[in-house]
Amino acid sequence: MNKKNKILPWQYSISSILLIGLIVVFPIIYTIYISFTNMNLYHWTNYDFIGFGNYIRALTKLDSGFMSALLTTIVWTVINMVIQILAAYIIALGLNAKGLKLARLYKTLLMFPWAMPAYISILLWRVGIYNPQYGLLNKIRTALGLSSMNFLSENIPAFLSCMVLNLWMALPFLIMMMDGALQSVDISYYESARLDGGGWWTQNLYITIPLIRPVLAPSIIMTTFTTFKQFDIIYLLTMQKGSLTGSTIQTVITYAHQNAFVSNNYGLSSAVSIVIFGFIIFFSIFVNRGIREESE
Amino acid sequence: MRKMVLVLCIVMAVSIFTGCSRSSQSVAAKQKNKEALNTIRIWHDGDKALIQLMENYLNEALIDDGITVKFEQKSGLTDQIKLYGNDEVNGPDMYMYAHDSLGMFVEMGALAPLTDVIDKNVYADMLPMTLKAGNYKNDQYLMPVYFETLLFIYNKDLWEGEVPSATEDLYSYMKSHTDAAAGTYALVNQHSTAYNVAPIINGFGGFILNEQAEPGLNNRKTKEAIEYNKKFAQLEADGDYNTVNALFKDGKAAAIIGGPWLISGVKEAKINYGIKSLCDFKLPNGNTLIPYSGVQGIGVMKHAARSKKDAVEKVLNEIANPQLGIDLAQNSGCAPSNQKSYNTESVANDEMIAAMRRTADIAQPMPNIPQMSVMWGPAESLLAAVNKSGKELDAAADDYQKEAETAIADMQ
Repeated sequence: MNKKNKILPWQYSISSILLIGLIVVFPIIYTIYISFTNMNLYHWTNYDFIGFGNYIRALTKLDSGFMSALLTTIVWTVINMVIQILAAYIIALGLNAKGLKLARLYKTLLMFPWAMPAYISILLWRVGIYNPQYGLLNKIRTALGLSSMNFLSENIPAFLSCMVLNLWMALPFLIMMMDGALQSVDISYYESARLDGGGWWTQNLYITIPLIRPVLAPSIIMTTFTTFKQFDIIYLLTMQKGSLTGSTIQTVITYAHQNAFVSNNYGLSSAVSIVIFGFIIFFSIFVNRGIREESE
Repeated sequence: MRKMVLVLCIVMAVSIFTGCSRSSQSVAAKQKNKEALNTIRIWHDGDKALIQLMENYLNEALIDDGITVKFEQKSGLTDQIKLYGNDEVNGPDMYMYAHDSLGMFVEMGALAPLTDVIDKNVYADMLPMTLKAGNYKNDQYLMPVYFETLLFIYNKDLWEGEVPSATEDLYSYMKSHTDAAAGTYALVNQHSTAYNVAPIINGFGGFILNEQAEPGLNNRKTKEAIEYNKKFAQLEADGDYNTVNALFKDGKAAAIIGGPWLISGVKEAKINYGIKSLCDFKLPNGNTLIPYSGVQGIGVMKHAARSKKDAVEKVLNEIANPQLGIDLAQNSGCAPSNQKSYNTESVANDEMIAAMRRTADIAQPMPNIPQMSVMWGPAESLLAAVNKSGKELDAAADDYQKEAETAIADMQ
């Protein structure tokens, strides 16, 4: 490769690299910088470098309640992802079934929850579905002669309620991805399988799943991270200021928000953020390695 | 030679035009600078109609001084002030907001005391409670404009007989007139919101945060108040803001504890409503309910107090004018901070404003120290844990007291 050819790719990509650097890398570097200072309400403009002081405090904080928040987050992510992948796969198969009428209409309707702004969806569910006085679920309970129930006041029902809403909001994306992936599978494989006597299970296990897995892996990784760092649903459903429900579910992100970001101590908050960022990077490397080993 | 003359002519022409343009630029720049010094930008997060009224009033009053006041709405005003409070170019000259963020802005070094700009006499007619709200570490930082307190608002068509004057009688009425299974309630309240439970906590002698910035969630009197509130909470539906409002507006609740901000919705729902001040209710210990008050006031940024002192002084003088309070009361139903505004009959006779004025004598301004910003969370978590999740009071109070102490320590 001559000198000109070495420079050319850089010339094409330098503007993008600079833009990414500005938008993605700079905030991270700045957060790291702030995490080594005592920037808080009382040192708003006159903050000083304080070394690892904030990190020592952040790690002490992680001790109290962080581990249970981390465990909740892992349970939340695993359950949500398992149900999402299975449900999306089954629904996508249904949508691709031969002879299904109005398939396009169903696909369009399925996109609604995903297309709706999350804030509106969450508040609609909070008031329209889970509310003890006006919610649909309690209207049904009352019609069945049961007493009204507060779905969001105890941890387990609140966790399940958040999970149902998360599935409702996130499923359309995976269904759409699986639908696209299913359509890319050559139909002749199934014809050959059927000629060889392969049934529905065999076709799914040995043709469909292996063929769509490489296409789906990026979407599944993306959804896993979105689920892991989910904040809106749990916060708006159970922890919104002025509308606390009584449940005390904490994920890593809600925990960080509650323990660091309401204090106006930006040095400490940044240190907590960087520690959590480290956890997520570790988790990301772990997941990526797992996927790579599996595909090899 | 001819060439030489031509060049000289061109040079002279260029220099003449350049000189003219410089001189006109400098006049324009001076004019622009004068305009900038006489334009006061006030950031707010309030009701549009109310703010428009204030802007019109101030601009009319200051027209002869050549001062223009521009109100600019900013959502998430606290965060905006954190970002731009000290920024002379992009930030506001003044801001209008509830007083409970005051300490935070002062500690950030964003605000100047009012006495840097005006004499104390300018705000001498303000209600003492509203002045206290805008005072931080013995300096007056906020010029109070109007204030709000919680009220007992009832539906005259649904409430049977007189509204009781003792909380115990109110409880008896609630017990006999509430049918949760049928979805009808005597009284609804945001029973797990600290602001709404504060009247009972203060009335019992407890506190959420005292002046020494000590949380009082596991204080004996606070716990007694929370326990007392719990029995009411069991008859007050879910306690969520939207739920209690909807129940009252749908005619499923005969009364609600809420602020003046509910009134426009209540009027739209065509409810024949009456109002009673919370200070007209006696607790079993003989004290009245003592609600928090929220004061909307105007503060001056340090840079504006320095560079636009004259204009800011005139704006503050006009804000302190009782006529502004009268206009706000007549058009927006606000309770003015200026005592002289109440000399006007239409203000003094307004049922809601009169109730708030009476409450102002006993109401406690919400604490304005920065630590209060981290207290709402633990206080409301405690109330929700006791009222909604059925947690044991003593254990929950100890847990959330610890959480509050940690949150306060984390601020440093």
